[in-house]
Parts: sequence; C-alpha cells; structure tokens
Amino acid sequence: MLRRVAAWTAAILAGLVLGGASAWAALEIGRGNFGERYGAWSHSRATGSTAAGPYTRAIIARDGLLALSAREALYFNLTQDDQGAPLSENCSYELTGRPLNTRWWSVTLYADDSFLAQNEDHAASIDASHVSPGPDGRWRARVSTVRGDAAYWLSSRNARRDFSLTLRIYNPHRDFQASEETLPTLTRLSCLGES
Amino acid sequence: MKDAGKYVWTAIIVALLAHFAFIHAVPRVMMWVAIDRVSGEGARYNAWTFADRVTPLSRTIVRPSPDFAYSACAYDLSDGPIMITATPWDAYWSLSLYADNSDNFFVVDDREARAGAEITLIRRRATPPDDAARVIESPTTRGIALIRRLAPDLESYNAAAEVARGDVCASFDTLRVPAT
Repeated sequence: MLRRVAAWTAAILAGLVLGGASAWAALEIGRGNFGERYGAWSHSRATGSTAAGPYTRAIIARDGLLALSAREALYFNLTQDDQGAPLSENCSYELTGRPLNTRWWSVTLYADDSFLAQNEDHAASIDASHVSPGPDGRWRARVSTVRGDAAYWLSSRNARRDFSLTLRIYNPHRDFQASEETLPTLTRLSCLGES
Repeated sequence: MKDAGKYVWTAIIVALLAHFAFIHAVPRVMMWVAIDRVSGEGARYNAWTFADRVTPLSRTIVRPSPDFAYSACAYDLSDGPIMITATPWDAYWSLSLYADNSDNFFVVDDREARAGAEITLIRRRATPPDDAARVIESPTTRGIALIRRLAPDLESYNAAAEVARGDVCASFDTLRVPAT
C-alpha cells in the first residue's frame, strides 16, 4: 500500500517538474525565436494584442509587460551582433540607421535582467528627437562602455553579457515597412582580448 | 512492474496540465505583481501614481523606457465604475488599459484626443452610469491604466509631473457632485 502511494506521488511530482521545466524551456526557446525576424531584430505583431496566443502573452509578460499593441507602437528586440554572437560589454559596436518613417522612435539598452544597466552614464537610450543623420543620410551611435568620440552613445557599462537593444517605433506612418534595410544595423567593431 | 505504464501515463498527463497551467499563469502572475507594486501592495487602488524618472534603479516594470514620464493607476472595479482622465501634453502621450492577463485592451493617444481623454471604465456587461463619458468595458475586474508622456530629458519630465496633477483615476461615484 505504502509503495503504491509513493509511486503515485512520484508520478505526480515527476509530471509537475516535467511540465514546469518544459514550459520554462518553451518560453526560453520562444524568446530567442520570437515572431518575425528582420535581420538581427525580432518582433511580434501580437504584442499586447487581445488576440495574442498564450505563449506570446507569456513571453511578452516576462520581457515587456505593459507593452502597447501594434496599433500604437512596434517593438523590435536585438540580442545578437552581425556575427551572431550574444551582445557583451566586452565588445564595442556601431549602430547605424536611416530616419524611420514614424512619428517617433528610440533605441534603449537593457541588461540581461531586462532593466537598465547599472551605470550612471545617462546614456541608456537614443531617440528621434536627439539624433540627426549625417551627410550620407545615416545616423551612427556607439554601443560601448565608453563614449570616445561618438556623437551618439548607448552605454553598455555594467550591462555584462547577453544585454539587448529594444527599438520602439511609435505611431508608425501608414507606409512604414519593417525590413532589414529600413531598421538600424548593429556591427561589432572590436572586443577586449582581440588582437 | 506491470503497473509502471499507468504511473508513466499519469506523469505525462500531469506534465501536460502543468505545462499549460504554467504558460497561462505567467502573464497573470506578472500582472498581479505589477498591480501589487503600482497599488502600494493593495493600499492605493483607483488613484494615479506619477512614477519617478526611469533610471537604472527603476525596478517596478521590466524594460522601462527612460524617454517617458509614466503615470500608473491600478484599478479595481469591484465597487463599480471608475472615471479615468488624462490631461493633454505637448508631445506624444497615450492612455492605455491592461487587463489582469496583460492584454492591452484599450489605447487612445494625442492624435485622437488632442484635448485630453476622459473615459468611464466598467466591468464587462455592467450597466454604465447614465451620465458616463466614453464607456470602456474592462475584460477583468482589476488591471492597470498607464499614461505615457514623451519626456526624454529632465526638464520635460518635470513639466510632465506638473501636467500629471490634472489626471483623474477615481471611483465614478466619488466624483459626482451631489444635487443641491
């Protein structure tokens, strides 16, 4: 009798552990393969939507609770550089782009815990109201632990490894089309220890 | 040994149920935590809180934007409808409503409401007050109202703080002027 109770208990516990672990794994995998991809940027039109499926809703709740629906704003996340490597504060990057066909946009850097990196550089974000394109029609921002001679800067100091960038596009114009060509591009310039 | 099959099947069925329960619970738990934080652990429902400027120390909601001044109101419709107003702002602003499963079920911005927004929020299928302004049905009894005002620098943040004083999030009944 006791053996049977123990067997049932073990089966139920194993099921609970397996179910919880598989759900967690599904969210982790889904996080990395989320929605549509435009170059290195990922995006889901279901963000904030009442029509979002349970997995989308769970992923958004973990990484972007209180996001606006696509009717109001579009969110794009970038977690890898142009060579497919996770973003790291040991590397410096250049983010370049053309003016976006939208009312307002911003790019914000988040540490791996989805909060702003713990530094006092006041350089967590760049936005359309402060960024101007150069003569070639492109703006350029440095993503690194120090500003150097960059006109625009996103500080990755204390962002550690696996930080991410979020591009917010508010009130996109009717003819705005997200694509690899229209969205900013992140290029790795160098990493500590590289010769 | 002959009973092993039924234990395995039990584990698989429990695993499936636990998997889907977990997936469904994540947004609700995250929202409960957010509602708890915004409401001061349940002490302050139906009242706006103007958030401190977003800094690396901000830990209330994940992925906050440092370019916005946020006002948040944890609402509770248990005692009836509430009125929510948003005072207009010179730059982009929006008023958005979130159900307790994290769905953004309503949003209005300055393009549609240049003079500000005023809504009456009621529970689904509840009867709205006769003198209610624009009526919005909330899918859930509790949730969060959020005003975003574009304020990318300290000066505009401070100006937004002044403007936010005019916002209302309160029980509809308490705002009624008694007839004299």
